[in-house]
Amino acid sequence: MTAMTLTAAVDCDLHVAPSSLGTVLPYLDEYWRSYIEDSTVGLSHPGYPLGAATTGGTPPSSYDELAPVLNAANPHRAILTCLALDGVHRNPYYAAAMARAVNDWVREEFLVRDERLRAGIAVSPLDIPAAVQEVERLADDGRFAQILLPVRGDVPYGNRLYHPLYAVAQEHGFPIALHAWGRGGKAPSMTGVTATYLEDYSSNAQIAQVQMMSLVAEGVFTRFPQLKVVFMECGFSWLPPQLWRFDKDWKGVWREVPWVKERPSDYVRRHMRFTTEPAQLPQDPHQIAQVVEMVGPELLMYASDYPHQHGDGFERLLAALSDEDAESVLRGTAAAFYGDLIA
Amino acid sequence: MITEVDVPSASEEGRLKDVALVDVDIHPRMTPADFVRRLPERWARHVERYGLRAPAIRDRYPRPRNKGVRADAWPETGFPGTDYGLLRKQLLDEHKIDFGIMLVLDALDSGYERPPLDAAICQVVNDWLVEEWLDRDDRLRGSIAVPIENPALAVAEIERVAADGRFVQILLPASAQESAGSPKYWPVYRAAAERGLPVAFHTGGYNDHGGTGRPSFYLEEHAGYGVIMQTLLTSLVCEGTFAEIPDLKIALVEGGALWLAALKWRLDDAWRQLRDEMPELDRLPSEYIREHVWLDTQPMEEPDNPKHFLQVLEQAGLEDRLMFATDYPHWDFDSPSSSLPRGLSREQRGKLLAGNAIELYGLPSKVARR
Amino acid sequence: MKVVVCHVEDLPAEERKIVKVGKRSIGVFNVDGEFYAISNRCPHQGGPLCVGRLSSWAESEIPGEVEVGGSARFVACPWHGWEYDLATGQSFMGPNEIGVKAFDVCVTSGAALSEDVAHAEEQRSPTATGREPGPYVAETFQVHVEADYVVIEI
Repeated sequence: MTAMTLTAAVDCDLHVAPSSLGTVLPYLDEYWRSYIEDSTVGLSHPGYPLGAATTGGTPPSSYDELAPVLNAANPHRAILTCLALDGVHRNPYYAAAMARAVNDWVREEFLVRDERLRAGIAVSPLDIPAAVQEVERLADDGRFAQILLPVRGDVPYGNRLYHPLYAVAQEHGFPIALHAWGRGGKAPSMTGVTATYLEDYSSNAQIAQVQMMSLVAEGVFTRFPQLKVVFMECGFSWLPPQLWRFDKDWKGVWREVPWVKERPSDYVRRHMRFTTEPAQLPQDPHQIAQVVEMVGPELLMYASDYPHQHGDGFERLLAALSDEDAESVLRGTAAAFYGDLIA
Repeated sequence: MITEVDVPSASEEGRLKDVALVDVDIHPRMTPADFVRRLPERWARHVERYGLRAPAIRDRYPRPRNKGVRADAWPETGFPGTDYGLLRKQLLDEHKIDFGIMLVLDALDSGYERPPLDAAICQVVNDWLVEEWLDRDDRLRGSIAVPIENPALAVAEIERVAADGRFVQILLPASAQESAGSPKYWPVYRAAAERGLPVAFHTGGYNDHGGTGRPSFYLEEHAGYGVIMQTLLTSLVCEGTFAEIPDLKIALVEGGALWLAALKWRLDDAWRQLRDEMPELDRLPSEYIREHVWLDTQPMEEPDNPKHFLQVLEQAGLEDRLMFATDYPHWDFDSPSSSLPRGLSREQRGKLLAGNAIELYGLPSKVARR
Repeated sequence: MKVVVCHVEDLPAEERKIVKVGKRSIGVFNVDGEFYAISNRCPHQGGPLCVGRLSSWAESEIPGEVEVGGSARFVACPWHGWEYDLATGQSFMGPNEIGVKAFDVCVTSGAALSEDVAHAEEQRSPTATGREPGPYVAETFQVHVEADYVVIEI
């Protein structure tokens, strides 16, 4: 991947993280500072063990650390993802306070310093009214481009309890970004824990399939016809067979969900996008071309996912794309999807 | 493993035909009365008084359409699948099935009863299957239901019935209490492998859906059967089950199959980077899958473009591993005559409809003409 | 070709008959006094379409709020539940599906029937329990009621 190819690209998912809680303490009020200082709460992320090759290292925790990475690739825009809320325990008020602090930190440390940067508004799914308030607080800032949620939640994302958040998202044109991982202990097993990291790492794809179906089946796109959803770091090569399955089943059981008025795959193609990492693809370029055709390159949006390392799948994906499709994947689709938010 | 047909002599050749159709997923069903009647007295009284512990399917499972069955499969009395005569007529005879593998779903909620009742339920199911089905029709084969959450009792049940060569596999739920690859279950898998019996994981079991929470709608539940299989297979591979038990063969039943291609790619990519976490895995996950895993077709995927089915069949390496099933009498039944996609070669059709199942289950390749 | 199904009194409202005409199996329905006839073979996988449940259309703009109404003339195949409009054979489950043949049905007086008209045999049928137009179209047949007899046009 040459720097030239990525120049003018839109990087939809580039990670930053505070190096410690101390980094975000200044953005919290006195009560929450004392809450933290008097405890063992921390900010480690359960999904990215530091020694795992796929983790790649710690994300930049300051603009000085980010700048060389950014300048090497020189994208047109990069949307920052801070997953600090994944490590937050279940006190919903603490979670909401941390969300505010994290978003303020991202803005002050990164967004105001570099025109190229945007970020997701991190919110906790523990308290949706608080999440709505946080979105409204930042909606007119001009530097936020999506609403960031973990793909692993306690209740599938189509559920009506989330609908007020989708309403405010639609109102301001913010896509909902469902990013891989979430709180620890949310793997798809009875206990939520897997015996190997291998399993957990591979399971974001299963969770994404469940969330995709929930959003459609619960009529989210009937209620919110302008809502957009992007799956980040969940892969995409699992999509075609799951859409065939979903469409076929809908034909027989549509009466259970008559608000799903079109084929599920029509909703998915219209409302959802998927980032290019991890590009979990076959080795054979001929088969890669088949997969690209089945998925539809128009659903894909480039993400460096820096610093995570998922192998050479993305390079092989790019090699299989026509110039026109490569341009869409690297820039055009995201430009249309985010519109003014990244203009 | 026994074969039902002796080696044909020259004079017998004319009375034999090639096995052309094996249905690897048929569901006969016990009536509640049958079930209670066959339980030991102590457990019959218990069940009559207290019922079963796992929440009833109608309470925990989104509402299936049509009560879960084909509307034309109701016998005069009783639920679809309780009547041999109708099943024989509507399925075995009508579709000229040479061998039908029966899977009784009444024992998939292992682990929610006290161990002796857990074991008794499986004994009842297996004995009933022999007396009411296998003894009646030599086309039928059975699956050994076992109380998987009590591995010692499960092994004992395998030992009790496996000598009957008409049992061709062990039957487990796709959604057990622990991940499928858990070493807790390895003694059961070993016992199966030692006897040359595959282990079939069939959709079902009391599954909390882990992580994300339960779906609201049957549409999600049904379309999610394959997702559960992906999780199950991921666990079997990544926890080293296949590395540990080299002779183990498994069948994934009623979860569809075409999701397998993408699963292989993502597991292979993960292994390339993370293999030092599990040094027991000395080769690519897709190679383990190739050696150990069979799948059935049902519910058959139907892409708009039938060419895509053939492409994914090849991408997933399914040609030698995919086995046809009807899932009679469920509503998502696949008809042997009209559910296979267009464009399969004759050889591919032959493998899907019979060849792969013959190989996995050690079935005869020829049978007497009926 | 005209085929006599039965006397009109033998097919009251909300009832159906499945009849055999040569190799074809055809379901004839009386829905609210309107007659329809449709091929008994679902174009999806060949299920016995006319044994399926009849429903009126269900409409929803808001998740959880559903209005049902209109004539109960959508038959759902007893296998996979794919639905067809009895009047046109049209399926509603999105594009890329095939139609099922609908036949013309009419009630004809005995006197008007010619000797060439075939008689349909009723088949014993198992007890039936119970949008956006797509290319699946079920074969429908013209039905007339001419005074006394239900007649289908094949």
